[in-house]
Amino acid sequence: MKFQIEDVTVYFPYDNIYPEQYSYMVELKRALDAKGHCLLEMPTGTGKTIALLSLITSYALSKPSNPVKLLYCTRTVHEMEKTLAELRFLHNYQVKHLGPSARILALGLSSRKNLCVNPRVVSAENRDSVDAACRKLTASWVRALAVENPNIPTCEFFENYEKAASDAVLPPGVYTLQDLRAFGKEKGWCPYFLARHMVQFANVVVYSYQYLLDPKVAGIISKEMQRESVVVFDEAHNIDNVCIEALSVSVRMQTLEGATRNLNRMNQEIERLVQYFKGRLQTENVEKEGPVTFVASINAQVGIDQKMLRFCYDRLHSLMLTLEITDTGQFLHIQTICDLATLVGTYTRGFSIIIEPFDERMPHIPDPVLQLCCHDASLAIKPVFERFQSVVITSGTLSPIDLYPRLLNFNPVVSRSFTMSLTRDCICPMVLTRGSDQLPVSTKYDLRSDPGVEKNYGKLLLEMVSVVPDGIVCFFVSYSYMDGIVNSWHESGILKEIMQHKLVFIETQDVVETTLALDNYRRACDCGRGAVFSRGKVAEGIDFDRHYGRLVIMFGVPFQYTLSRILLARLEYLRETFQIKEGDFLTFDALRQAAQCVGRVIRSKADYGMMIFADKRFVSLCTVTIVLLGNSTIK
Amino acid sequence: MPNDPKSTTKLNVDFKKIKGHKFTKEGSSKQALLNLTQDQGGNFIFEFDSFADRDVCREYVANAIAFHAEAGRAMPEASVAPLNNEQLSRAETERLIKLLQENSELQKLHKQFVFGNILTDAEFWATRKKLLDKNDSRTPKQRLALKNEMWTVKPLSDGQSNRVTFNLTPEIIHQIFAEKPAVRQAYLSFVPNKMSEKEFWTKYSRAEYLHSTRNVVAAAAEAAEDEELAVFLKRDDMLASEARRKIRRVDPTVDMEADKGDDYIHLPDHGLPNDEVKDVLEAHYEPYRRSFSQDLNQHAAVVLQGRVVGRIDVELGDTRSVAEALSRSKQAELSNEISNRNLERELSDRISKMAEIEDLQGPQDPAVAPLSIKDPRDYFDSQQANALKALGDTGSGAKPLKSSVSSHEAYGSLRDLISDIRGTGLSEPIMNQEVALKVLGSLTQNISSTRFNLGNNPHESVLDGLPKVTKEELLHVTRLKDAMSQVYPKLQEIKESVQSDFRHQVSLLVHPMLQALDAAFAHYDADVQRRSAKSGERPNGFV
Repeated sequence: MKFQIEDVTVYFPYDNIYPEQYSYMVELKRALDAKGHCLLEMPTGTGKTIALLSLITSYALSKPSNPVKLLYCTRTVHEMEKTLAELRFLHNYQVKHLGPSARILALGLSSRKNLCVNPRVVSAENRDSVDAACRKLTASWVRALAVENPNIPTCEFFENYEKAASDAVLPPGVYTLQDLRAFGKEKGWCPYFLARHMVQFANVVVYSYQYLLDPKVAGIISKEMQRESVVVFDEAHNIDNVCIEALSVSVRMQTLEGATRNLNRMNQEIERLVQYFKGRLQTENVEKEGPVTFVASINAQVGIDQKMLRFCYDRLHSLMLTLEITDTGQFLHIQTICDLATLVGTYTRGFSIIIEPFDERMPHIPDPVLQLCCHDASLAIKPVFERFQSVVITSGTLSPIDLYPRLLNFNPVVSRSFTMSLTRDCICPMVLTRGSDQLPVSTKYDLRSDPGVEKNYGKLLLEMVSVVPDGIVCFFVSYSYMDGIVNSWHESGILKEIMQHKLVFIETQDVVETTLALDNYRRACDCGRGAVFSRGKVAEGIDFDRHYGRLVIMFGVPFQYTLSRILLARLEYLRETFQIKEGDFLTFDALRQAAQCVGRVIRSKADYGMMIFADKRFVSLCTVTIVLLGNSTIK
Repeated sequence: MPNDPKSTTKLNVDFKKIKGHKFTKEGSSKQALLNLTQDQGGNFIFEFDSFADRDVCREYVANAIAFHAEAGRAMPEASVAPLNNEQLSRAETERLIKLLQENSELQKLHKQFVFGNILTDAEFWATRKKLLDKNDSRTPKQRLALKNEMWTVKPLSDGQSNRVTFNLTPEIIHQIFAEKPAVRQAYLSFVPNKMSEKEFWTKYSRAEYLHSTRNVVAAAAEAAEDEELAVFLKRDDMLASEARRKIRRVDPTVDMEADKGDDYIHLPDHGLPNDEVKDVLEAHYEPYRRSFSQDLNQHAAVVLQGRVVGRIDVELGDTRSVAEALSRSKQAELSNEISNRNLERELSDRISKMAEIEDLQGPQDPAVAPLSIKDPRDYFDSQQANALKALGDTGSGAKPLKSSVSSHEAYGSLRDLISDIRGTGLSEPIMNQEVALKVLGSLTQNISSTRFNLGNNPHESVLDGLPKVTKEELLHVTRLKDAMSQVYPKLQEIKESVQSDFRHQVSLLVHPMLQALDAAFAHYDADVQRRSAKSGERPNGFV
């Protein structure tokens, strides 16, 4: 359908539109007109992504003299693929109705590991070895040598790409990573370097948060992006954590040992610093200090001043180029050290250094770690707000919506929260406080390992698998808790009974295995066999929409581990700087995670699903939960 | 019911009377039996030579019972009639019966045409091939899965000694081989050269027992002493390599591995250390760590894949051939994957389809249902009658309207019209003569040429080219014939009615028409003869 929002004709690829999608677009357009930042919350299952994409692309089409560029940030690669698939659908529609003038170039950007098509390189185990294998074939000095000595291998895809020079361009269209690889294979050009090159000409670029938030990366890739860009952070309810993680580093004994090995090859002044860290890690007690004192102490003990620290990372980078080091994967340890040094040298507030000689929960095993923890999410995102005219932060869960501007320290021109209009009851949230034997259930510490609770949880799942069709998703508060409970179900025979009804798949800490399990889970749902998927952590990102998730069960409230020193330090910082109470923040954090998990089962209003919150503590949090689910689900 | 030619008494029971069926499980010690329970009590038990044969029969019986239960009534004439038709296989016949039972419309037509000797059975079905195909695909053969039950070491100890007993059945062995390729591989290479079958399974059970105690250190210690035992205790490398291969084929929207591969999403040593307590193990114990979740996932994946062996005529009792069959099927799977070049396209199509929000999509097809008229003749006749009736009704209302215009005025307007036409002239005839002649000519050609083809292939008829409704109307052949024979005198009349100057031209026009009629009648006569000949061959064909 085609409609006007003020002066912009919006091309929307569907025949119908939800009212909240329309209001979402109106607000978004105001923010673009005002050239300011905005914060928009709209519940899952209302087609946020497509509304956003249609408005921004239509906005760009309506201003052909000065079209805005869209930088769309997702948390994960599979979300990237999903977004690009929706964009392709939209693009096809726009080209059909507007002709070739509506054509745009849109592409996803990821690592060599995900884009490389050279079979010799991509077969390497992990990202870093792929990077190193690629550099070994494509670094300028390697290629210079290869000119003289034909026995030195090079990458034919990269050579072809270089040969094509300015002819190597992507024709307009929407390219997922998969499409980029296919295109590269067909033309014989390296898709990774092609994509990196085309990013500056593209109308829409989809990549992960870190490309903008991590200062090391943002400097390289996002440097050329013009100011007239719209930056979108989708599923941004966790953006504060991402910001913090981008600026936090931890150093363990292994890191230091690796760094020493690196240094033996480089043997530069950084060695003194490594020695200093080594001395600090010998500590017997927990230590915590601010960056200023830490830098002062480095200066006093090994004579490296703040300025030198600050340029550590850049210098290491140039040094590695000078030394013509290609196997960069081997040099991660020293990079970590230098990264830490740079951060410590750059920021004076919002950080603390925490040194722990062992893990609190396993005091008998020495595992010293030095952590540089960032507490202030606004530090990482500040350059983004400054560089780009419009930054859109959006998610299904941003309540309380006034908290985010404080956490991220910005002034949105538009800050709106939309509710979902429901014409029928397509979701059914429930709180379960007691098991079938009337005993309370909870994952609170005192009840956690109670066999009665484990049994009640098992009975709940068993009853559910016997009546709910297709897919069921279970979320547990941690991997170790899930492991324990699944094993105890196995021993008591409950698992066997569950398996009479459905197949059972479990997330493990091995990503490859989890991915395959997920793929199998989907196939089991597709073929009507039905399955249960258990996730060990309250992690989001994977959709369990339609028949992939007719029921989601949250076993326990996903509170953070409150005894963690890092969390305590952050809570303290939040209280002192933003006057946010510890309890409030913890509740807010647990509930946004919970709401996100259960929200994954709904994709559109035609979808339906049931949600069970199995913990007695959810009762007191209930009202908040309902608000987080999108204000519309009061039952 | 298929009758055994060797048996002394013939068993003939109508499926109407069969209420249910039971069967023995494959892999158990019992023979392949099929038990049919009868309506009024009493059972029929059939013993089969192999499970495969039994399963074919079971499926057949299950279908038969299902549709008898569904229909609730039997159709004696239909169930007997097509059986005599030598062109149709048994399965096809069954499908036809089922189709007729489900579709009363079709049943009526079938009765009318086939039993009325208008069409042969083959002709009737030839035009409804589509229905048959659709019906066929709707009931795919159900595949038998493995049991969704994990075999675990539940030591059956007697409480006094330290002996532990395990139970292994061929079914369990099959499952172990399917889930653990390394064990399968080990079996193929160890048994019987290196150790006996019994020793092999004892060793395997020992390894499983060690795993169940979750004592990684003990497992590693035992493995160090016994290299065969180590095979079972170590992580399955074949599984790992299979996983690496499969990971390239997963749906990108669930590919969490790609996240790990992306730059900067997961930098080592970056971010806040997670809350998880890491089970730190020394490096040389690492290969012996195995989690229950891993086994569970692998088990579910194998169950989902379905039974590989069992369909390929391998008796479950023969452990070696089971192992070999599984290895072969894995090999085949691998080569299939390599040859499948369209994978990327398929995946990308799949995501595109998933990306659309169906709820917002308008109706894909225009919101109209196709017009289906049971009997077009009745419909059009009644429509005509209605129209006439309507005319008759308005007839009284039309009179005053007529009288309001005087004959003088009417004449005036007519004269005006005529002078108008005189002025401008009849610019062109209503239809171009040459074009009309061409159309008629080609039509005639078509009809007369089909006359020669028709005899060769009874399924093909000139009528197939026509819309279905028209065709069915045309199929009331006798009526049509009568109507057509009336065309002759009419044409003659037309010829005679025109003035002699134009007669030649008119006869030129009429001639092809006459030719067409001649051809049609010739075809009809031939058809009638053929039909009578056929029914002569099979007098009982349409009882």
